[in-house]
Amino acid sequence: MPKNSRGREIAEVIPDKCIGCQLCLAACPVDAIVMDKGVAKIDPEKCTGCGKCVDVCPVNSILFEKVRKKKKPVVAAGPVPVSEYGGVAVFIEIHQDKGAEVAWELVGKARELAEKLGTPVLGFLFGSNVEPVAREAIAYGCDTVYVMDNPLLQTYLPKVYGKALAEMCQQVKPEILLLGATPLGRDLASVVATVLGTGLTADCTGLDIDAQERLLLMTRPTFGGNIMATILCRNYRPQMSTVRPRVMRLPKKDLSRQGEIKPVAFVPPQDELPRIIEFIPRAAEIGGVDITRAPVLVVVGKGACNPQHMPMFEELAHLMGGAVACSRPVVESGLLPYVRQVGQTGRTVAPKIYIGVGVSGAVQHLVGMQGSEKIIAINTDRNAPMVQIADYALIGDYLKIVPELIKGFEARATGVKGAGA
Amino acid sequence: MHIVACIKQVPDTAQVKIDPETKTLIRTGVESICNPYDLVAVEAAVQLAEKYSGKVTVITMGPPQAESALRDCLALGAQQAILLSDRAFAGADTLATSYTLAQAINKINDADPVSLVLCGKQAIDGDTAQVGPGIATRLGYNQFTYVAEVIGLDPASNTITVRREIEGGSEVIEGKLPAVLTAELNLAAPRYASLPELVRSLRQEIKVWGARDVAALPEQVGLKGSPTMVREIFVPPARGGGQVFDTNEDKGNAVAGFLDTFFGKEQRLLEELLAKDGHAQE
Ligand SMILES: Cc1cc2nc3c(=O)[nH]c(=O)nc-3n(C[C@H](O)[C@H](O)[C@H](O)COP(=O)(O)OP(=O)(O)OC[C@H]3O[C@@H](n4cnc5c(N)ncnc54)[C@H](O)[C@@H]3O)c2cc1C
Ligand code: SF4
Ligand code: SF4
Repeated sequence: MPKNSRGREIAEVIPDKCIGCQLCLAACPVDAIVMDKGVAKIDPEKCTGCGKCVDVCPVNSILFEKVRKKKKPVVAAGPVPVSEYGGVAVFIEIHQDKGAEVAWELVGKARELAEKLGTPVLGFLFGSNVEPVAREAIAYGCDTVYVMDNPLLQTYLPKVYGKALAEMCQQVKPEILLLGATPLGRDLASVVATVLGTGLTADCTGLDIDAQERLLLMTRPTFGGNIMATILCRNYRPQMSTVRPRVMRLPKKDLSRQGEIKPVAFVPPQDELPRIIEFIPRAAEIGGVDITRAPVLVVVGKGACNPQHMPMFEELAHLMGGAVACSRPVVESGLLPYVRQVGQTGRTVAPKIYIGVGVSGAVQHLVGMQGSEKIIAINTDRNAPMVQIADYALIGDYLKIVPELIKGFEARATGVKGAGA
Repeated sequence: MHIVACIKQVPDTAQVKIDPETKTLIRTGVESICNPYDLVAVEAAVQLAEKYSGKVTVITMGPPQAESALRDCLALGAQQAILLSDRAFAGADTLATSYTLAQAINKINDADPVSLVLCGKQAIDGDTAQVGPGIATRLGYNQFTYVAEVIGLDPASNTITVRREIEGGSEVIEGKLPAVLTAELNLAAPRYASLPELVRSLRQEIKVWGARDVAALPEQVGLKGSPTMVREIFVPPARGGGQVFDTNEDKGNAVAGFLDTFFGKEQRLLEELLAKDGHAQE
């Protein structure tokens, strides 16, 4: 145990473990900790060796060996009466008059969470003439759908929807509220969390329940996908989370499911509101390809970024009923448009088969495709991260492998069809 | 016209690597940079200020070192920079961050009325697009997120018209100032700072405000004002390594070997796929 010049035993930061969260700064009573290049640093002369920083560090990056009585954390009485809240609610986003797929994915997840909690699944629905969507919500797994139906809710404005959803939460008091991490869902979630003064965790990739404490465990990538953090919201309700589309599985629709539809009064805000002048549909996304929906993706990386070989990749993708996507350097080179980019700053995809051709598998890329069912890597480098995580790795030059794949696949696919028929 | 840009200093996540042995982050030598999305916001703010003869104030909440990120923004052409730094701010989640920034903007607004607040659409190190809408909600301003273009701004009628990128396309929307805008990457291209601007940015004094300066309530800032807490941090579990077929070793049979295995093991998946798509069925 290190000591300072006055012989006091002091705490020490292990810089490589520190994630720079600054929690220790907040905890130190004598202001002995400063951030230095994103890492906490303890001033040995100021440190009194109280050990408070050790308790709060989430990654055990502070060394402190002095024996001391570990105080039980005081469980503060929550600022909101937590026990008054119940039900797992899903915000049902509407996209072109229909329930957005991400909403149904979340209803599926909500069922799982609700069963662990022994509580119902609630749908929160806003719009104009949305009764059919409410019925669909029940078919996907909602027990009760609360509906605010009003012409003013036909289009999304943050102030209108923010007020509507916040009031819905105040009336219904769900313990959990899930939203899709779409442009609309993200926007709305932060407005509502701010109005209600509750915690919001964005872009979660995993949701679970701590049954003992009855808490939602929200896991999300952080630090550009390098590490995962599990976040919780102990004393405020609802516990809010957004989840990207295609991260959760789409549940089966059951038209015979029974549920209740409850209208809720909508009180429009008094403010002068912004006016939507027009909606411009995205110029047919280069042949109308939506890489988030393709069941098979042939993903071109920098190692295969050659315009001459694009027809070959298109052929492989077409053969398997899929589409061509890419990594960021390929977009930067101008070979493919941004809408085809997979990854942290591109789209999140979860195809049934992901084929990475000359993609190394940088974390920023991996976070956008980890949900893929089967991963195939084609790479000259046996040690590339993509090869490490792949279910099947083909080592070698793609120029040799891909044509062989196309031929072999064609020959065998007929066999599968025959067997399946 | 007075524009406030909110920025954040972040670790350059591209440099962060995981130590494969200890499964921890290798942080040594990782530089802190100004969040790239925020630089776009600052550039857009400066361009608007140039066009409408206004001025730009950049603010950030962070440790004293965040000053260097503010200087980067001064070099892009912002006139004033304020660092919100206080031990009480440490450990803030997005709710506490938007509170602190909103308090600061209120104070800035008292001295010199603010028409626009610009934020980057997200930070590369973690929080995703929550702070901008949080600030707008607290200040009661209109909010326009994911803005790709400022189409028009009319100081006389106090209105702004922007194009936002949303699901399936973009939306042209018009509303009253003051407003909060969050910037898409294509809103503006950050310029290379000129030498005189660089020199100015290094010399200029940066104000430092603490919790008291912005009249922040202790229970609303930092760790205390943050409803969310980190329970655990871990390195994502590696997907179990799969089967490797090496064309250098298998003398021409690697691809065939792969296909045989693949068609053998993934029969169900392939049937599902081929039954639906109509390709390869002729
Ligand atoms: C903030 C931030 C956000 C980012 N967001 C994204 C994102 O959203 N999406 C994204 O993809 N990236 C993103 N990146 C970039 C990311 O860090 C990587 O640089 C990028 O993913 C690498 O792309 P790549 O795998 O195609 O290229 P490289 O890393 O250059 O890999 C090329 C691979 O091709 C292999 N290869 C070469 N020749 C052949 C051949 N003849 N046959 C077979 N294999 C061959 C090589 O072995 C290598 O593994 C981001 C970076 C940052 C800093
Ligand atoms: S041991 Fe106590 S005094 Fe020393 S750095 Fe940690 S919190 Fe501060
Ligand atoms: S609490 Fe731990 S991880 Fe967070 S800054 Fe302090 S030492 Fe680093």
